[in-house]
Amino acid sequence: MKKMWKGNHAIAEAAMRAGCEFYAGYPITPQTEVGEYLSSRMPELGRRFLQAENEMSAIYMIFGAYACGMRSMTSSSGPGFSLKQEGIAYLCANNFPSVLVNVQRWGPGLGTLDSSQTDYLRDTRGGGNGDYRVIVYAPNSIQETVDLMYNAFDVAEKYRNPVEILSEAALGQMMEPVEFPPFKERKEDLGWTFDGTDRPHGRIDNPGKPGALRAKVEAIMANEQRWENYMVEDADYVFVAFGLPSRTSRNAVDLLREQGIKAGLIRPITVWPFPFDAFKEIPGTVKGIISVESTDAGQLVEDVALATKRMCRGNVPVYGLFSGQKIPKTKEIVTYVNGILSGENKEVF
Amino acid sequence: MEVVFAGFGGQGVLTAGLILAEMALEDGKNVTWMPAYGPTMRGGKAYSVVKYADGMIGGPDMEELDILVAMNEPSLEYAAYLKDGGVIIVNTNNVSEDAKIDSRFEVVRVPCLTLAQKASNPKAANIVAIGAMIKKCGLFPEERAKEVLRQIFVNKGKEKYTAMNEAAFMEGYQAV
Amino acid sequence: MAVVKTTPTMVSIPNHFCPGCGHGILNRLIAEVIQEKGYEKKTILTLGVGCSCNMNGSWNGDKIQTAHGRAASTATGVKVARPDLLSIAYQGDGDAYVIGLAETLNAAYRSEPITVFVINNNNFAMTGGQMSWTTMPGQVTTTSAHGRDTSLTGMPIRVPEIAATFPDVAYVARGSVHSAKEINRLKGYVRNAIEAQLNGEGYALVEVLCQCPTNWGMSVEKSIQWMEKEVVPYYELGELKGRRK
Repeated sequence: MKKMWKGNHAIAEAAMRAGCEFYAGYPITPQTEVGEYLSSRMPELGRRFLQAENEMSAIYMIFGAYACGMRSMTSSSGPGFSLKQEGIAYLCANNFPSVLVNVQRWGPGLGTLDSSQTDYLRDTRGGGNGDYRVIVYAPNSIQETVDLMYNAFDVAEKYRNPVEILSEAALGQMMEPVEFPPFKERKEDLGWTFDGTDRPHGRIDNPGKPGALRAKVEAIMANEQRWENYMVEDADYVFVAFGLPSRTSRNAVDLLREQGIKAGLIRPITVWPFPFDAFKEIPGTVKGIISVESTDAGQLVEDVALATKRMCRGNVPVYGLFSGQKIPKTKEIVTYVNGILSGENKEVF
Repeated sequence: MEVVFAGFGGQGVLTAGLILAEMALEDGKNVTWMPAYGPTMRGGKAYSVVKYADGMIGGPDMEELDILVAMNEPSLEYAAYLKDGGVIIVNTNNVSEDAKIDSRFEVVRVPCLTLAQKASNPKAANIVAIGAMIKKCGLFPEERAKEVLRQIFVNKGKEKYTAMNEAAFMEGYQAV
Repeated sequence: MAVVKTTPTMVSIPNHFCPGCGHGILNRLIAEVIQEKGYEKKTILTLGVGCSCNMNGSWNGDKIQTAHGRAASTATGVKVARPDLLSIAYQGDGDAYVIGLAETLNAAYRSEPITVFVINNNNFAMTGGQMSWTTMPGQVTTTSAHGRDTSLTGMPIRVPEIAATFPDVAYVARGSVHSAKEINRLKGYVRNAIEAQLNGEGYALVEVLCQCPTNWGMSVEKSIQWMEKEVVPYYELGELKGRRK
């Protein structure tokens, strides 16, 4: 039976059930409960929790442990996640898996504690130096957070690449009914890990292997796009939204349809790889695509424009509803569409 | 259904939200509970938002309230989110009689603290408010609500408080 | 009687260090002790960034190249995952004491059960000889072109002395490779630092004073003389914290 769970606690418990053996991290609001929960839960199961001196140290502890094949994770929020970027680049350079959790808060620098999606571009583009991508899941409910976390280690190990769960402050703080999958563990040797014997480790940055990075990116883009479409097939206006804004957007679809406006929703579940294939369902008669996101400057809208250019015929206008430091409300979204119809709201691309 | 419990930190508005959420869950609904956290908590202001529905629930934060439970006077600011004809449960122990409330709303005045004290459970003003709200709005049958309330405290290992909490619940339930 | 010495299997000859550099001596001592213990296939070396990177081409054993300054954290993660293996961090002074001072001291403070070796050659050697926190007063480097002015940059840092004050640290020593006598002593420190980990005693740090003729702009002979005159008196040699008996 489902029980009420706080997002941050649920993601931590899901990590345990997915076989996470080691967590290293540094407290930062609004994700501190992840580490707090694990500090209590991991020793109960003979696993290791380590409060690091800073974010960088934490990511390199994960780096060292996953080099040896131990299922390891770290978590943080915007500013702390910035500090981890160098370590993420090192994980990618070495072809090491890992699971990273970013419970986003709004803004650059110290920012605020408000719920946001302002780390979108950094996290989907790689974020650190060099040529790499991180597989990024963007759940929109606590149950989905749990389900995605449960598979995150498997996917990370399959591609030997970090996997990130991109959460949001509100999704970390809120509670919803959740059902957990059973505990699992990966017993087999991954074959490449450090075990003292100096067997081959298959570093991706070996200059003897040109094209290896591109090959990995293409494989992930081909196999791992995930999305959910809602009433897209006959829509005149299609929202594209992930995470919590996708929920208010879906309510807005229903409200708009009651008003006789044919709206639909594409909800990326992976934001990298971006689900280009979801756009195939958009009808040729579509009048506009609308990115709905909790940012000020507009970030997701760039991927929406790219996908629209690639997947839609003609020059379909791409709009952006940028709600800044909060989740866009259902009514705001409806009003925004009415503003497009009246010519008041102009396209971004 | 969208409900906000608001008050000072310490008035149990987060717990009140959780209790309602558990009742809705028991009723087979989809539920979200969202606390005020971080900067919104400053100045001792606290609230929780509970939404439940048969279908999918949108954003977890305040959008269009059906019910506002105002445990203190500053909480009345959230009436701005209340639907026309929405219900405000006002804790008269912490809200003055002349506090301005728009006539579009239905106001239920309950001396939550006084009634909690009457039930020998002065910490349970929040549970009094829940009792009043459930009766007024006909949210759940009395026995079902009491059973969930009991279960919550049993699960927390606080079984010895179940009778006191039920007494507080009934004070609120019978006050409207 | 003649003693026949063989090269330990974990070091290659030639190595990739400059002529006259002392790194190779420490490499060899570590390799000898690992071999003594039978841990050639049970050791993971975490390499810092600096001249330590040269060991990617000459250390015949498992090695992880980590980021600048983060070797202690990486070696900590290795030890968490594989407590049965020997986890060693090998770094220079710029790596461990400047950019990675936080990670070095915090790992020591928590007494992570790892062994850390730090080559102290009084400069950032890999990048061509810039000032380090270990650069001696008046020493000319490419970023202290008029000689290190300690009134502006501080006196040379002594990290082992700090680490030795942490109650849980198992073993701290400072050795040198500038003479045969000190090399023999150093081998004892290396052995202690490795045994401390194998016995589960906690964190061990060995700093090793080391000549850098290339960046000091001296002959090997002059380098050794300068070390004896300037460096050794400031950076006292010996065990700063002995193992608990």
